[in-house]
Amino acid sequence: MSGMTDESQMTRRAALGALGALGVAAAGGFVMGAPATARAQVLGLNESVQETMKRLFGDRPIKDGEALVKVDFPPIAENGSVVPISVTVDSPMTPASYVKNIYIVADKNRIPFVTRVTLAPEAGRAFMGANIRLGETGDLRAIAEQSDGTLLMVKREVKVTVGGCGG
Amino acid sequence: MADSDKVRLRLPSTIKAGDVVQVRALVLHPMERVERDAQGRIIQKNYNYVNKVIVTYLGKTILSFDTSQGVAENPFFSFTFRATAPGPLKVEFLDTSGGRFERTVDIKFS
Repeated sequence: MSGMTDESQMTRRAALGALGALGVAAAGGFVMGAPATARAQVLGLNESVQETMKRLFGDRPIKDGEALVKVDFPPIAENGSVVPISVTVDSPMTPASYVKNIYIVADKNRIPFVTRVTLAPEAGRAFMGANIRLGETGDLRAIAEQSDGTLLMVKREVKVTVGGCGG
Repeated sequence: MADSDKVRLRLPSTIKAGDVVQVRALVLHPMERVERDAQGRIIQKNYNYVNKVIVTYLGKTILSFDTSQGVAENPFFSFTFRATAPGPLKVEFLDTSGGRFERTVDIKFS
């Protein structure tokens, strides 16, 4: 910015510079992944599983879901990088009573939150399937949140032969 | 639609009105893992991974996934929907670098 002699030119440059900075800031907020700003980082944080559970559910009581929540977690995952799981919750899936959310939380992952599925009654069945990563042997939890706010949890231990979360 | 060739959807070959249909969806995506320095601290940078999957049927969002890096590379998801009427079923994947991958199938009854 040397050699500026004209006041108006300076103003123009300053204005352009400010615009550029704004653009960078906007892009940065979106892309950089700073925990406070990026939409991405809100749910998946590097924390203990207790912190994750507290953050997701606060102090709400969580009931045992063995009767209603059917989980298909492999007892042994040979490759932690790709662990196929699925969860089905027994629910009528009508507007009056349906499963709103299914959460998957891996106790021993350094980022325990894996996924949250948000369902509408039109899904027809409270079902989700995904391929997830597991860092090491530990409990894997499925928590179903029903439309009346009831939380149901099922836990299973998954043995991991080769961890999949890297670094 | 751009990048739709990265998305694969699998549905049953025949669908009848009223069926609850299971769909399998896959997107080719690196799902970058968290990197750490020698002290085990997370290196702060923009990790590129899919953090949202949105399923829209007949113009209404019926299901979505919010995901972290705990989901595997080339993530695969399955879900169901109740086929009430013929129309479009769209699956959209959004990643943390602004990428958007989607595919739409027309649900027809047979």
